[in-house]
Formats: sequence, structure tokens, C-alpha cells
Amino acid sequence: MAKFTLTNGKIIVKPFNKIWLVLGALIALVILFSYFIPLDLVNFKPDQLPIVLKKMFTPQRNRTWADYFEFIFSLQDLLVLTLQMCYGGTVLGSLLAIPLALLSSKNIVKTKFVYGPARFILNLFRTIPVTILAVLSISMVGSGVLAGIFAMMFFTFGIMAKMLYEVIETIDMNCYEALESTGANKLQSVRFAVLPQVFPVFIGYVMYIFEINVRSSAILSYVGVASLGNVIRENELIGYDRIGGAIIVIFVTSLIVQFLSSAIRRKLQ
Amino acid sequence: MKRAEAMYRKLPKKWIINLIFAAVLAILVIYSFQGSHINPIRLRQLPFVIRSFFRGFGNILWPAFFGFGGYDFDESIVYLALETLAIGFFGTLLGAILAIPFGFLAARNIVGKHVAKIGSVLLIIIRVFPEIILAIILVKGLGSGAFTGILVIGLHSVGMLGKLFAEAIDEMDNSSLEALDAVGANGWQKIRYGIIPQMAPLMSSITLYRLDINVRSATILGVVGAGGLGALLTIFSDPPAWPLLATILLAIIVMVLLVDGVSSYLRNKLV
Repeated sequence: MAKFTLTNGKIIVKPFNKIWLVLGALIALVILFSYFIPLDLVNFKPDQLPIVLKKMFTPQRNRTWADYFEFIFSLQDLLVLTLQMCYGGTVLGSLLAIPLALLSSKNIVKTKFVYGPARFILNLFRTIPVTILAVLSISMVGSGVLAGIFAMMFFTFGIMAKMLYEVIETIDMNCYEALESTGANKLQSVRFAVLPQVFPVFIGYVMYIFEINVRSSAILSYVGVASLGNVIRENELIGYDRIGGAIIVIFVTSLIVQFLSSAIRRKLQ
Repeated sequence: MKRAEAMYRKLPKKWIINLIFAAVLAILVIYSFQGSHINPIRLRQLPFVIRSFFRGFGNILWPAFFGFGGYDFDESIVYLALETLAIGFFGTLLGAILAIPFGFLAARNIVGKHVAKIGSVLLIIIRVFPEIILAIILVKGLGSGAFTGILVIGLHSVGMLGKLFAEAIDEMDNSSLEALDAVGANGWQKIRYGIIPQMAPLMSSITLYRLDINVRSATILGVVGAGGLGALLTIFSDPPAWPLLATILLAIIVMVLLVDGVSSYLRNKLV
């Protein structure tokens, strides 16, 4: 450790920099986790990537560009199906999340015995991956749109409840107290003091989660819910250009949804 | 009283517009259920399914979980969970390192308005590109395995991390840089004593937040062959093997709650 002697005789010791502690911990974690990542360069073939990309985004096997685009436009039924699932799931899940979010916020429910368990349930719910939710819904209602809606709904419910209670905790409580002092009951105070403050943020979050759901909807095909991912799954071995077509549709849809939702969110603020 | 009532009548009739909006949204929800049919046989099985799901949690397969009995540790669920954690960790590290140059590229006070616009559009495109699609392309192009998973998560997190880094850099306090200029510090010294001390806590907090998200998505990406627990989820989902699914789910819940707790504890300490 460096010592400095000032002209008046005082000795100043440079304090220990905590960055070394952090760096040490980071390096230890890197070494620990590298054990689980086998660096097998046999399976790793980077020269394949350009070939695969070319196979995906140009027509293959005697097909023409006309066929390629015709296929892209023939995906509209699956696209509508995917959007149906995402929309229904997002809206219903968000609405269901409102009561739990109110129960989890410290400033509305002041008893720890209520908001503690509510938060625990919420956190537990949030850990379950969407694929397991989909498997559960399929075994309940069979594969189809309904299973997709349920999976998306449960998924949205978890995220939305968490994001919403964090917003509710930051609102201005003065109007709430004012309403309570005029003799309004809890429900009325929430309706007229909490909801107006939270509503614009809530709509923004609904759009945001809708975006996430559209982007992740392809995963549901891998556990048996029909969506755009089906095309990718069915053409796994040959027909890479079909996969490429589906990828283009998914990407363009996510771009449009992102564009629309950020436009609406900007308007709301 | 009359006056108050008159004022009340004068209020703009917003509720009509709101009602129309709500009606449109509700009709769309009803439309979204179109084409869904309820399978009556499945519905009759509903109590049975729920019972077998919860029974699955009753007899969690501990040998498969910890890797003893007939199982190797290399194939146990704990091992795969740690692999998933490692994918999330290295992916976040890669993403954070890649995001630093992107963050500077999209910060208005460093590169100017026009370059920052290009940088932020680039970041939006990275962010919008679905992670699962990136995983499918990279698994086909580079081969399956944990290494591909790290690349997918790293590349995808650049989008959000870069944007948040750029916002952090934008709001940087310039006075300390001016002070360093005044005492005659050179470029490296300005970065070391002016920028790093300001940026490090904020950037680490953002990265820790992303770690939480990345570990969650690492549990899913295995479905398409990017390593980790996800691969097992597809194998055991059709028909659902509840005891095994419950065992996997237990590992995921413990892992995610742990990462969530550690991440939010460290973030609270940082800021």
C-alpha cells in the first residue's frame, strides 16, 4: 500500500481498492463455470455458418424466388394464429395480474402477512419457464390455440404482476390518503387514486409484454402448440429455405410490433 | 352546489371514447379465441392431470437430480442446471464486454448526434431480433452445444445492455472530466479517474439485472439445442413425464430464485 508523507508531516495511506476483490471473485467464477462448458472444437464449425445462411435465405432444390415469396405469403394463417395466441394471452394475463399486483404492494396493503405471501407466490410463478406452462396447458385443454393462449396468459401474469407492483409502490400517495379521509372505501380509493396514476404505465407494459410474447412465440412449437415455429420444426433436416422464410416472417412481425408499440408508448407519455 | 354540478356536466365526455376502446379490445380478445376447440376427453381428464402434476412434486427423482444410483453426475439435473447457469453467466459477460463499445457508439455526448442515431438504430435491430431465431440459426450454423448458447445470449444481450449503457454514458457528469483536464491529465488518466469510477457501479448494476434475465432464457434455449436444461424439457414433454418434469422444474426454480436473490442483493449494495 502506497504511503505519502505531506509537508506538514502527516502520513496518508492510500485505501485498499475494492476492485481487486471484485475482479478476484469474477475470475474465480469464470474458472468455476468453465468446468461446465466443454470447449469441444470438434462440434464447433464456424465455416458452416455462411453456407447455412445462404441455404436459408435463397431458394433451394430447384425452387425459384417466386416460390420463395409465395411460401412466405402462404404463412399468413399461421401468423394470424400466432398473433391470436399472443394477443389473447397478453390481455387476459395483464388483467388477471392487477389484483395480485395490488395485493403485493406495500403502500396499499399494509399488512406484511398479505403482501409477503403474495410476493412469494408471484416470484415462484415467475420462475416457471414458458415451455413448462405450455406443457401443462396442453395436457389440460389439448393442443391448439387455447393451450397457446393459456401458456401466454400465465407467462404474462407473472411478469406483469411484478412490474405493476413496483410501479404502484412509487405512486404519489397523497390523493389516496385524501380520498380515504373523505370516507371512500378501499376499492373506491384504488379506483380513483391509484388506477389513473398507473394506467398509462400499465398500457405501456402491456405493449412491451406483447412484444416479448410475439418474439418468443416460436418456442411453443417445440412443445406442441401450433405457431410459426412449426415451419421451422417441420423442415429441420432439409428445406432450409422454408426455415428462412419463416424466420423472415417472424422478424418482420416483431419489427412491426416493436414499431407500433413504441409509437403508442411515446404518445401516451 | 348547483355550480359544482354544472362544472361536473362540463367535464369532457372521455368515457365514451374509453368505452369504444374497451369494446374493441374485448372483441379482439373474443376473436383471439376463434378456432380454439375444447377437447372434451382432455377436459374430463383435467382432475387427473392436476393430480398427477402435483404428485410429480411428491416423488421427485432424487437419483436423477443429484446423479447417484444409476445416473452419472455428468448426466444429472444438477450438472445440467450448473451448465445452464454457466451459459447465462458467460453469455452476460460476453454481452457486457461487447456492449461497452456499442454503448459509446450510441451515446450522444461522446460521438455526436448523427453517429449516435446510427448506433441506436443498430441496437434496436439487435434487440428486436428474436433470441430463439438467433439460436436456431447459430445452432444450425455452428453446431449444437453450450458454446453456441453462450454466443446466442451474448449477442442478444448486446441490444438491451448497449442501450442502457448509452443512457448511462449520456447522463455522465462532465465536471470531473473538466477538472482532470485542468490538472493536465492525459487520455488514459481521464478514462481511469474520470469515467470508470462514475460508470462502474451503474454498469455493473445493469449487467447484474441482465444476468437474471439471461439465466431465465438459458433454461429455454436448450429446446433448440443450445445446451442446458431446455433439451430435457422437449424430450419429456410429449407425453408429459410429470415426475421428471417436476424434478427439472425444481432445479430451475431453485436456480432462478438464487440468481434473482443474489442479483438484487448486489444491486442494492451498488446503488
